[in-house]
Amino acid sequence: MLNFVARRLAAGAVLLFVISFLSYLLLSVPHLDVGRQLLGSGAAQDLVDAKNAELGLDRPVPARYADWLAHAVRGDLGTSWFTGEDVRQAVGTRLPVTASLMIGVLLVTAAVSLLLGVWAGVRRGPADRLVQMLGVAGYALPGFLVTLVIVVVFAVRLGWFPAIGYTGLTESVPGWLSTITLPVLSLSLAGVAGVSQQVRGAVIDVLRQDYVRTLRARGLPPSRILFRHVLRNAAAPALTTLSLQFVGLLGSSVLVEQIFGLPGIGSMTVTYTTRGDIPVIMALVMVTVVLVVAVNLVVDVLIGWLNPRARSV
Amino acid sequence: MSETPPPAAARRSGAARRVLRNPLGLGSALVLAVIVAAVLLAPVLSPQDPDLASLRDSFGGPGPGHPLGLDSAGRDIASRLLYGGRATLGGAVLAVLVALAAGVPAGLLAGYRGGRVDAAANWVVNLVMALPAMVVLLACRAILGPTVWVLMVVLGLLVAPAFFRLVRGIVAGVRNELYVDAARVSGLSGTRIVARHVLVVVRGPIIIQTALVAGIAIGLQAGLEFLGIGSGSAPTWGAMLNEAFKNIQRAPGMIVWPGLALGLTNASLVLLAAALRDALEDRGTPPARRRPRPPKAAPPPGGEPGRAGLLSVRGLTVAYALADGRSKQVVHGVDLDVRAGEIVGLVGESGSGKTQTAFSILGILPEGGHVGAGSVTVEGLEIVGLPERAHRALRGNAVAYIPQEPMSNLDPSFTVGAQLMEPMRHRLGISRAEARRRALDLLRMVEITEPERVFGSYPHEISGGMAQRVLIAGAMSCDPGLLIADEPTTALDVMVQAEVLGLLRRLQRERGLGVLLVTHDLGVVADVCDRVAVMHDGRIVETDTAEQVLSDPRDPYTRRLLGAVLDHAPARAPWQPAAEETV
Amino acid sequence: MKKTSRGAAIVAAGAAAAAVLTGCAGSGGAKGGTDALNIATLTLPQSLDPADANGSAMPFFQAVYDTLIKREADGSYSPMLATKWEYDTDRTELRLTLRDGVKFDDGTPFDATAVKANMERFVKKTGAQAKTLKGVKAITVADKTHLALKLAQPDPAMLFYLSDAAGLMANPAAFAKPGDPLKTRPDGTGPYDLDAKKSAIGTRWVYSRAQNYWGTKLPYDSVTISYFDNETAIVNGIRTGQIDAAVLQDADQQAGIESVPKIVKTKQEFDFQGLVLFDRAGVRTPALRDPRVRQALNYAIDRKTMLAKLRQGRGEATSQIFGTGAAGYVKELDGYYAYDPAKARDLLKQAGQAGGFTLKLPRVSAIVPDALASSLQTDLGAVGVKVAWDNVDGGAIRRIFTERGYSAMVMNLGQPTTDWLAISDYVLPGAFNMFGYTDDTVKGLLPKIQAAEAGGAKAELRALNEHLVKDAWFVPFYRMSYLHVSDGTVKITPQSGMAVPSLYDYAPAK
Repeated sequence: MLNFVARRLAAGAVLLFVISFLSYLLLSVPHLDVGRQLLGSGAAQDLVDAKNAELGLDRPVPARYADWLAHAVRGDLGTSWFTGEDVRQAVGTRLPVTASLMIGVLLVTAAVSLLLGVWAGVRRGPADRLVQMLGVAGYALPGFLVTLVIVVVFAVRLGWFPAIGYTGLTESVPGWLSTITLPVLSLSLAGVAGVSQQVRGAVIDVLRQDYVRTLRARGLPPSRILFRHVLRNAAAPALTTLSLQFVGLLGSSVLVEQIFGLPGIGSMTVTYTTRGDIPVIMALVMVTVVLVVAVNLVVDVLIGWLNPRARSV
Repeated sequence: MSETPPPAAARRSGAARRVLRNPLGLGSALVLAVIVAAVLLAPVLSPQDPDLASLRDSFGGPGPGHPLGLDSAGRDIASRLLYGGRATLGGAVLAVLVALAAGVPAGLLAGYRGGRVDAAANWVVNLVMALPAMVVLLACRAILGPTVWVLMVVLGLLVAPAFFRLVRGIVAGVRNELYVDAARVSGLSGTRIVARHVLVVVRGPIIIQTALVAGIAIGLQAGLEFLGIGSGSAPTWGAMLNEAFKNIQRAPGMIVWPGLALGLTNASLVLLAAALRDALEDRGTPPARRRPRPPKAAPPPGGEPGRAGLLSVRGLTVAYALADGRSKQVVHGVDLDVRAGEIVGLVGESGSGKTQTAFSILGILPEGGHVGAGSVTVEGLEIVGLPERAHRALRGNAVAYIPQEPMSNLDPSFTVGAQLMEPMRHRLGISRAEARRRALDLLRMVEITEPERVFGSYPHEISGGMAQRVLIAGAMSCDPGLLIADEPTTALDVMVQAEVLGLLRRLQRERGLGVLLVTHDLGVVADVCDRVAVMHDGRIVETDTAEQVLSDPRDPYTRRLLGAVLDHAPARAPWQPAAEETV
Repeated sequence: MKKTSRGAAIVAAGAAAAAVLTGCAGSGGAKGGTDALNIATLTLPQSLDPADANGSAMPFFQAVYDTLIKREADGSYSPMLATKWEYDTDRTELRLTLRDGVKFDDGTPFDATAVKANMERFVKKTGAQAKTLKGVKAITVADKTHLALKLAQPDPAMLFYLSDAAGLMANPAAFAKPGDPLKTRPDGTGPYDLDAKKSAIGTRWVYSRAQNYWGTKLPYDSVTISYFDNETAIVNGIRTGQIDAAVLQDADQQAGIESVPKIVKTKQEFDFQGLVLFDRAGVRTPALRDPRVRQALNYAIDRKTMLAKLRQGRGEATSQIFGTGAAGYVKELDGYYAYDPAKARDLLKQAGQAGGFTLKLPRVSAIVPDALASSLQTDLGAVGVKVAWDNVDGGAIRRIFTERGYSAMVMNLGQPTTDWLAISDYVLPGAFNMFGYTDDTVKGLLPKIQAAEAGGAKAELRALNEHLVKDAWFVPFYRMSYLHVSDGTVKITPQSGMAVPSLYDYAPAK
């Protein structure tokens, strides 16, 4: 197991390197004319050129990348071109926001999908139809519309929750909960729609396995068969879906972050990429890769733990 | 399940028909067809050019020539909806095609070849998954231009890992199973088997995933428009939705049409995918009206003369609920008796209803199946109409079950030991240590030479014969009086078959068990059975001592059955797909 | 599995319950009283170093730094760090008298040497406003509180500059430190200090009252400026009272909040939207050389409809680039070009362009929504001018300004009250007059305007304006009105000539 984790971590490090290079290339090819963006469209060309030179943008891309890499491996990620803030600090203050969001969404999605999926898979009939309808609704409704409705209803009209902003977990726990609830709710809907279908399918598949019949024939009660055997065997596909969901969340959280005015890394990625603030985006890319590698690793270890066959393969 | 699926072609037409019989499947297919047709016919159906604008008339309501009104630029909403569907749906198709083309072949290859190919493919997939999607999208857009097609190609590449993972996982699983199969069925090349099986197994999930990816692509367009990462000036539903949102105070109604187009398309896609999956994988929602109440037990137990004390079945019928609400009877009035210390063979071809009879005695009929009428007594207790909880109390203790396919009847996630101990601890209420001691005893009893090692093994780590012994041990664990063995040796090779039969025989003698041996193999019957009941088409056609039936069969069907065995006399009966068991 | 799932469910349920219980208190508590001001903005300051200060980002700087001259809400100047200023007769030397006894936090005195150091650094740094002090040839320090700026030529906007970015005074002790600490740790004499602990640079800046401020205290103990990337979030924040004040530019967002009774709204016209014709010399599009063609473009567009539909009537149709607060503004010129496609076609015919021509325009979708793009295409198309839009989102700005690839562009431009600012940005050769076009009338009027004090040469300014309109240097559409909104706890006085109020313009509502 340790060997497996070590190998995966090494692969992750190579991945980090390759992706950092690819991203730097992708970010540098379109000439975003950062200097002009910084100085405003009315700036004189010589000033713009001077600004670009000051940022090192007059040098060839490989040289700039090598420079970035040399600093990055020493933990120096530079400062933002557009806000002057230290990149580590900038990402560090925003990461907890998105992390809270994602952990919340994963917990809610996992819990609710499990309940709904198992309910639908075991009960079938009307329960099954209801859960399928929920799934359809989750797919059919555009995410940002749902989010907007949620803000207007629960924050603006009812005033139950704040409409915007984020309170850190360390500042105030109730504050954190109240600022995170609506965003988590908005993001979870689509997740629940997808994962509950997956759980339902997996539960139905497992319920039809011969060994479930044999377990019944041994006189074990259905609840025990369900919780001990069915759920364990249905968990692997559900976990895989959940991990894919997580990767998707990194992208889709941007909508929710914008609408709720949350200073997270999702909206940061969009604003800073459109501007071409390379030091910040590179840091965001690194964070994303580390998160994805870590989550995939955790899920694979979990699946291995749940399913001995996957372990030995 | 263990059975080989029937040839794909035969099922495919059936699947299409099943989808269309499902009201949701038919409805969503119709809606999609209408949408696609309308979008394809946009030049014919559109009232005007989708880009023709007249700012003076903007935000105008429905009127002649403008059935849905005009948008913020004074363009005809109906025309834009129709033309917008081309870019939207075309984009989704493009994304799906790219994802399929990139993900499926790679998944097949990686799953089938395994090893280094697999490792390399996985690394690339991890790379794609870890790529920051937003950065890639924005960069490609900046380089290649802000069109819907660029966005969709990039999206297709980014979601290709989903297809890859899906296909690879399934193929790897099938490959492992089929190595066993391929060894069994000599003559067919492994590749051909895999290819045939893979197509069948992978098809369903891919179709579902395709529908979902199409939906995601359509939704993502809308999301990107909202973020200001639009697709240029070409009309798309996402752009229309965003435009409507930007003017929501001025013209709140404008959001309805693109929202509806988007929602309907996505909902239809998901519903159609669900219907297809249910049709292909045959796990549709059964009509599931309440399970019909079992009839009240007819005659008082034991009162009737001639009924055996251990197991007695009289007039048993079994029926299945069909999709259209009717029910179909598969067992029509079976009478059967098993006395203590006796082995009774229940013989018949596949589909004769023998397994259904066995399952109804155990009370483990699959979904949709139920006992229609008759009486079944176990140790004098009537079980027809018995509440589930009381019936469950009999299972394991009074009547135990040995299944046909050893590997698929052990839970792959638990060790042999855990699976042996669980019923004992639960049913007998004994301690962990005691259960462990007894489990090891049981393993010894079924002639397993290294009980400690097998105890700690997972099912995939032991052989089929070993697994069948474990299952027999499991059946014996709570000391039942009646054993129901459903083709216990069919899945084993000849040497092991004989050993397992010997073991069964020994246990039966030592413990004075009654055994109901369900089999199609007359050789087995000749070997071990005291009496035989021959079943055909859901009815018992002949019951007598084994000697009598084998030497002087009275029923023409029994004679045919015997004739077939004598003519071909295969070492082991060829395995046949059994519709009955796949239910 | 069983355990984890159940645990997760309990955590989730608990979280939801706790949130419901605390939710009301949470949002209620966030409401600003008179001691705290919460401002929302769509502007991100590049840093808090005065060298990077620019336009709408000024409030971020005004909290920490003082300017030499204070610009009041009505645009007039009053003493701040400088108590007196006067020009010599030919307006090429500006003599400043500084306030005595002002000190930076570390005890460094604010004096003439500090001013000189600030200004010299400001020009040297490649900031957006560095150009404003380009015309300062020399700075002579007379004594601790007196210095003189020697100008290459008269600059009517110099006082404005000193009340803006160029007038922000930072502690010169920070200049020599490595890594430019001012970027994130601003050090000025201003009314507030940046509270680094509560701030998250890039999203939220929290300022708390400076202990020994030399001047009149501002009414709020603390000021928080939060950055948002969309107005939807701002409107929701205003409605829940989480934000006290903001400016809304989007017409639909304005319409959305207008119906809410408790919100206090103040209208202000600042930016105008229009087509800036760069290529009056006809380098890329020869047709544009003829004034009649440029006039035809002006007659071809239907400003009234555009205003009504695109801005929901929020603004004023206009044919001039000077705003109502400028000395050169001529009210009659607003309606100079009435919608008249027949006349437009006629003018094109006279100019020998009866067959029409193609006008390639860059399109930034944030400025040019579909409706504007297609209405220009329709209106100009109707008189024979084919508009071809090039999408320049995502990095093609270079093609516009550096490569000078387009003859014109739709822009939103400010209408400063200081005429010379508009003239130097829009009329003199520069980024918005990239082909450097000029003509004899303009050449004749400019020296007189430049030599007078700001707004002084009123007749010449009006003549220049009239010439620019009649010679059709621009195709302005309308002035857009912005809406200052507050949740009712704050009184906002719009800053004349600026889209964003100065920090001094907020006060608790009575």
